[in-house]
Amino acid sequence: MSDFKKSILQITTLEELTQKKTPVHRLQPSVKLLITVIYLIAVISYSPYQVSGLIPFIFYPIILMTLGEIPFKPLFQRILIALPFTLFTGISNLIFNKEITLYVMNIGITEGMVSFCSILLKTILTVMAVLILISTTSINDLVYVMIGFRIPSIIVIQIMMTYRYINVLIGEISVMYHAYILRAPKEKGIKLKDMGPFLGQLIIRSFDRADRIYNAMKCRGFEGDILYARKEMISTKSWIYIVTVGCLLILMRLVNISEEIGKLLM
Amino acid sequence: MHMSDALLSVAVGGTMTAVSTGAIGFSIKKIKKIEIDDKKIPMMGVMGAFIFAAQMINFIIPVTGSSGHIGGGILLAALLGPFPALITLASVLLIQCLFFADGGLLALGCNIFNMGVIPCLIAYPLIYKPILKKGMTPKRITIASVLAVIVGLQLGSFSVVLETIASGITELPFTAFVSLMQPIHLAIGAVEGTITAAVICFIYNIRKEILDSALKGSPMRNVSIRKVLVILLVATIFIGGFLSIYASSNPDGLEWSIKGVTGTTELAADSSVHSAADSLQDKTAILPDYNLKDKLQVDNVVGTSISGMVGALFTLTLAGLIGVIILIFKKKKHYR
Repeated sequence: MSDFKKSILQITTLEELTQKKTPVHRLQPSVKLLITVIYLIAVISYSPYQVSGLIPFIFYPIILMTLGEIPFKPLFQRILIALPFTLFTGISNLIFNKEITLYVMNIGITEGMVSFCSILLKTILTVMAVLILISTTSINDLVYVMIGFRIPSIIVIQIMMTYRYINVLIGEISVMYHAYILRAPKEKGIKLKDMGPFLGQLIIRSFDRADRIYNAMKCRGFEGDILYARKEMISTKSWIYIVTVGCLLILMRLVNISEEIGKLLM
Repeated sequence: MHMSDALLSVAVGGTMTAVSTGAIGFSIKKIKKIEIDDKKIPMMGVMGAFIFAAQMINFIIPVTGSSGHIGGGILLAALLGPFPALITLASVLLIQCLFFADGGLLALGCNIFNMGVIPCLIAYPLIYKPILKKGMTPKRITIASVLAVIVGLQLGSFSVVLETIASGITELPFTAFVSLMQPIHLAIGAVEGTITAAVICFIYNIRKEILDSALKGSPMRNVSIRKVLVILLVATIFIGGFLSIYASSNPDGLEWSIKGVTGTTELAADSSVHSAADSLQDKTAILPDYNLKDKLQVDNVVGTSISGMVGALFTLTLAGLIGVIILIFKKKKHYR
């Protein structure tokens, strides 16, 4: 399958996932966004030499992914995308920091290894958190949350339109690309000297399309603002969720639960 | 060049989010002032989708053998104007972060700054626009595009290095990091610059008015007070936040001279008034000795930077208050 079709598939798969009806999907979008941000801040606030404290944070994504029926395959795809650069810097930690911190069965664990594990863990946890957010909250809901947070309508409309027209433009560039390749079968891609007219043509078509879209929007009463019927207040149930989970996350950040459990067991 | 959350610290992520938010807010204000009608809005939306699609076409970078794709900052700025271009790029980066795991959510501020603010609000007005002020010809367009793209990408990749090193998560030494990032992005910049130049020249031949209106609708004069204040606030957070980590713990000039004379850096109180004031200060100081109290059990480094930021903000607010009070007094005097 070509790269273009793969991207369209990715977006439509995520969009389909948001239509499920699980307890996680029923949570209010603003709640999910808030908790995701608190979770991300808690995870990245760990210093690179703390790994045991990070481990309890795996509860949140695992519980939500199972409750929300989120498949694990897109998770692995996304981690694969996010890993290369972080792995590269992590490996440099392995190379540059060889101070031994502790011995496990006569094998010296260097600080570099600890920070490598920490970076790896952080990457996985942060990617999982964002995936959970985006597979349980549709783009419409996210946009309503932004309006609720008083983000100016110009940027909110911008996000919505970009999202909606990605599939259209990817479809168009796919057609243009295949037309080119069919006329240049020995080429592995678009030659550099043809990129100018290739992209230029797409730009001109996009501008014309935008003109037609503008006229269509004006005919339907567009005045520069998004019209919405309901302004969703955060319900009591949601507040309870925010406070409970928020406090739990902060508690996990301040107290090294792994260590406490380890002390109890030893 | 998308940064992920795992390599970022909270201080760097928070600061850059504030900077990018400020830049976006500034751009929105400018757009509202310049554009009379809302025709630009669907145009920005479609161009955002265009950048998405265009970034899927990889070109092979000569010599290194790796591939890259265009960023699109300068191209968008040349077609839409710098402020709409920044908003468009910000939305593209947000969607890439959410739907394609390209860049972290808390790193969004950094990514918007590196790939949006730097090309649109720094490289474009300082390099691209001045070259074309004298008149648009294909030759000038090529020079302007290539230069602006290369400089924009060099600054952007350098920002990535700075932000990663300042976060302190990676042990990669500065020189090694820089010597890896800069040459790769030089190669990418050269190719992207040529492509950008080719595209803009194509548009110049077919629809010159697009380029003209983008160039015209971006006045950078009339720097407002608000912009200056925002920049000052951000610079304060930056300086208070990061550089305080590197603040020397050696005694400052006064303490050093006191030490030379009396043998200690602080003088003990020797009267009842002094000791009363001392205990009062002890009780009320939220950040004694510039660190959060142990109650929060936070790393020492984070403690210093938060107190640095809080101290700086406090000072700024106090200065603002004094200015306001003076203004009120002056007004009262005027109306008497």
